[in-house]
Amino acid sequence: MARSVLCPQAERTGGTSSGTSRDPGYPGRQAGSPQCSLPAGRRRRSGRDGRKGSAGRAGSGGGMRGRQRVQHREHREHREHRERGRALSAAAGALCRALPPRARPAPDTLRRARFDRPQASLDFWRLLYALLKQIHGGRWTESDTIDNQIRFVKSALWYHGYDRPELYQLPADGSAGSRELLLAFSWMLHRLGLLERLLARNRVRTGDETSVCTCEDDLPNIQKGTPETTPECGLEDRVDVRYLQWLNGRLRFQWQSLHAQHQEQCKLLHKIHLFTSGSHVDQVLGHFSVTETDLVRQPENYKQLIQLLESETMQLEAFLEWKQLEPVYWQWMETVLDNMAEEGNMCKSQDTHVEKRRLPELTSCCPWADNLTGQIDRLSRDLMTLQDQLHKLVAHRKAAWCEKVKAREEELQKEGFSATARKIQESVELKLLDLTRLCAPKKNKMHGLYRLVLRSKHPASKTGFGQCVSKEPVSAVSATEVIRELRMREASLQRELEQLREECRHRLDAIAEGLDGVICISP
Amino acid sequence: MQTKGGSSGVVLGCRSFCRGSLGDRAHTRTLRRSRFPSGCGPLRGGPGHTLRPPGLVPQPRPRGPGGGPVPVHIAGPGAVCSPRGGEEEEQPQPGSGAGHENRPSPKELEELELLNRALEKALKVRKSILKSPLEAPGATGKKLAGEGPAARKAEEQQVPVSVEDVPESTKVGTGSKKPGSSKKPSAYQLRAPYRTDPDVKKPQRKAPARCVSQGPRTSGKNSSKGVASKQRGSQRTATGSATEVCAPAEPQKTLGLSKSAPNEQQSFSVGDSAGGKNSIAAGQELFDAGKKSCGFLGESSKKEDTAGASGRSPSPGTGTLQEKGCQLKLPLPYRIAYSRNSRAWEKCHLCQTSADAAAARARFMERIQTTFCSPKADFSPAEIEEELRVLQDVRSHLRQYVEAETADPPTLQGEYESLLTLEGLQTTVAQCLQKLQLLRAALESQLRLRPDCTGDVGSCSPACVPARGQMCDTAGVLALPLLCYSSFQELRDLFALKLQVSMLHQEIALQKVLMAELLPVLEPSPCPEGSARLFRAIHTQLCQGGRSFPVLVRDELGD
Repeated sequence: MARSVLCPQAERTGGTSSGTSRDPGYPGRQAGSPQCSLPAGRRRRSGRDGRKGSAGRAGSGGGMRGRQRVQHREHREHREHRERGRALSAAAGALCRALPPRARPAPDTLRRARFDRPQASLDFWRLLYALLKQIHGGRWTESDTIDNQIRFVKSALWYHGYDRPELYQLPADGSAGSRELLLAFSWMLHRLGLLERLLARNRVRTGDETSVCTCEDDLPNIQKGTPETTPECGLEDRVDVRYLQWLNGRLRFQWQSLHAQHQEQCKLLHKIHLFTSGSHVDQVLGHFSVTETDLVRQPENYKQLIQLLESETMQLEAFLEWKQLEPVYWQWMETVLDNMAEEGNMCKSQDTHVEKRRLPELTSCCPWADNLTGQIDRLSRDLMTLQDQLHKLVAHRKAAWCEKVKAREEELQKEGFSATARKIQESVELKLLDLTRLCAPKKNKMHGLYRLVLRSKHPASKTGFGQCVSKEPVSAVSATEVIRELRMREASLQRELEQLREECRHRLDAIAEGLDGVICISP
Repeated sequence: MQTKGGSSGVVLGCRSFCRGSLGDRAHTRTLRRSRFPSGCGPLRGGPGHTLRPPGLVPQPRPRGPGGGPVPVHIAGPGAVCSPRGGEEEEQPQPGSGAGHENRPSPKELEELELLNRALEKALKVRKSILKSPLEAPGATGKKLAGEGPAARKAEEQQVPVSVEDVPESTKVGTGSKKPGSSKKPSAYQLRAPYRTDPDVKKPQRKAPARCVSQGPRTSGKNSSKGVASKQRGSQRTATGSATEVCAPAEPQKTLGLSKSAPNEQQSFSVGDSAGGKNSIAAGQELFDAGKKSCGFLGESSKKEDTAGASGRSPSPGTGTLQEKGCQLKLPLPYRIAYSRNSRAWEKCHLCQTSADAAAARARFMERIQTTFCSPKADFSPAEIEEELRVLQDVRSHLRQYVEAETADPPTLQGEYESLLTLEGLQTTVAQCLQKLQLLRAALESQLRLRPDCTGDVGSCSPACVPARGQMCDTAGVLALPLLCYSSFQELRDLFALKLQVSMLHQEIALQKVLMAELLPVLEPSPCPEGSARLFRAIHTQLCQGGRSFPVLVRDELGD
């Protein structure tokens, strides 16, 4: 019965004939499609499934009455189906509308995928491709070749920990597997917080945004760059080292001018914020952003922005609707799993993945993995060194401490050292707590873009300002906090760099010793 | 009538009030005063409402219908503007959770319409009464402004108007005297048609309303234009921007008028017309004043703003924005769209998953997880990366701690503390190493499951290297992300540090690459002759970040 949920129009009046016509999963307009012939087996099965008890009884009773009862039951079921179907198609509709416009699938795609229709599979690959690309902030176009898209989706899903082997075995031409993809999509929906994340990512920016995260940002380019430069290694001898120095100087100069420009930008931003304070409709914000100031100046240029805002509003409304209808969707997904289990897909998987596991051992060529392994190695080397160092230090200190304590035992007891010791213990625990907090993986780090808002430190001095401040959103972070974080990050990066340089110094010193007749005096 | 408008706009009124009282205006004033020390200086600088020198009063009159009514209109908004303030502001307001309907109900519209008619009448009466004396309106306006809640409701316009009308008349009076007069004529000429325009249109209800409301907005536009041009760093002169201003004014007017959504439009324009009518002239005043100050403040603020990198053009902009910034209003369509949008965000943020959904979802996830290759996989590749990043962070902190503890502490207590700390660190390091082992194992098992990676970068790197910072928690994701700063210095520090951090990231990456590529060049150490120079260059690059270089001394004594 769950079968029909996505197909409100699957209602058939008769229900008299065999399972084929009963299958509510087949809406009229699809019945004639070429795919109709495909899941014949499933059809039969689903028919059986739908009737279960009643079919048996009807069979044994044989007569008209049994038939009627079946009909009644079917009618009731149909009504239920219709209701649930309606709810489900509403849920699917809301879900689709809550997805970003560029990746929005037709609600029909979901339904087709539920029956593993091959014609939905391409749509689904494209959908997943678009969604994952957006999440990963990559550029993409609809015209990317399908096998690239599929490869990307597979590896992105793998990256996020989707471990269902069937997905990875789907053909690379995208000709089949829409139901597998539906499962993956639903998994992503929850696991990655797909909708929320996409909404937040694609948020229409009207403010002066700045990113607050201290993560390394441009790494991808650097990584992509490395393999390209390696072939040039052969040319190295021919490249004058002065060229390198020149490049380095240029880079430094660019940084400086970037800094100057940032400072200039700050000045302007601050002025705009200060001078327009109190003008914004949104009291939480209080002042205009650059965009909004320009918008006041020439509103005719911002029709598109308004349209974007409106379409985003609709998307958000769809999201709210989806949140209401969400249970229906998940229940429906469970029935999808039920069906697959019935078909034996699930058991089959057990064998295949064992097979799969043994398969590609040669993947270590992946630069991502190499990079990660390298990082792990380096980290563990560092930690080992640190451990040795600590070990020595602790041993040394301990010995010294024991000696001293032994020598002054009585004296210490008199002084009531144990109380002091307890205090010290507490303070040390407190000190180390910061570190443990750092170790906690899911600490709420700040990421992404934030809208800059000027908040006067002395709101009281301005009459009537009190109310504006009272309504502070939870998500607001203060610049002081961010600055503190940045300072910490800066210090740790500086240390890291210094360490690398120290390493170089050691190695170069060793090299210098090998140079005949030359003494190197470091600055 | 007034009370009615008042009651609808209490909150907003307060806001506009505080808007009017923002500190920066005082700043502007001082500036202006210093620019025009005699006669007009104090005039402009002063609160404006009352300090009008009598000599200037008659000035507007000769201008006839255009100039005459000005003060009247000005008085108008102070007294009558309130309903409009309430109305116009209210539209977008629901966005912030006031629980209002977005569109006004038909009944409300009707009431508004009545209200507007009444207001119009009142305006006419006022006009006839207050035709001549200029002080009166100013005073009225001021009194009203100070009248407590009711007056506070008076739309922001009131404040600008009363402030503005002073410069306006000043300008008229002393037009030729002013140093910046070269700019003024154009402003003045521009104004004339504007001024009469609304009056001509008065019989129609909507049109003037729109135009009127353009007034203050236009001035805002004007000023912001300056700023934007400053932003772009274009070398637009003050005059240039002043004259240009009028261009955007027209389109916007038509935009407002031609806007669709008849129902909405009607209500809004009605709302506009209420206060708008009153402030027809006021709007003009504002507009002109804005224009003028654009030319005029430009020069004074130029002095202040010598540091401005983009030279001349920024200053006028700053000046105007500085002056008008607090009275700017966002265009209505945007305000509507914005507040709907932000309300929707707010709702989504507060929206929670129902227990039903959570349960069904959990069941689904659990079931699908059982079909995974490694149902209890500890870390996904993404998580491995994340954990590794955390550990790297911890490493650097650990180092810091250890460094802090290496020196022998002087006291016994200190020694004890240091010992305990070191032991604690030891445990932490052990834990990290353990975790690292787990990660390594997880990575290996993940790689075995990896979909066919052909090894070429293009195929796997997109997924392999997701944009960092995107993998944050989804929990607070739907909240409006705000970063509050409280001072210019803070903003500068923030930007400087951000750059510093990304520079360091780059520098570290470069250092690694250079180490990998340059050290092997030296290590075989083939020819001593060339290698000394090379050595020095590389040493400079790798150890000193290119900032200083080592001295190489040829030791020839041995020979």
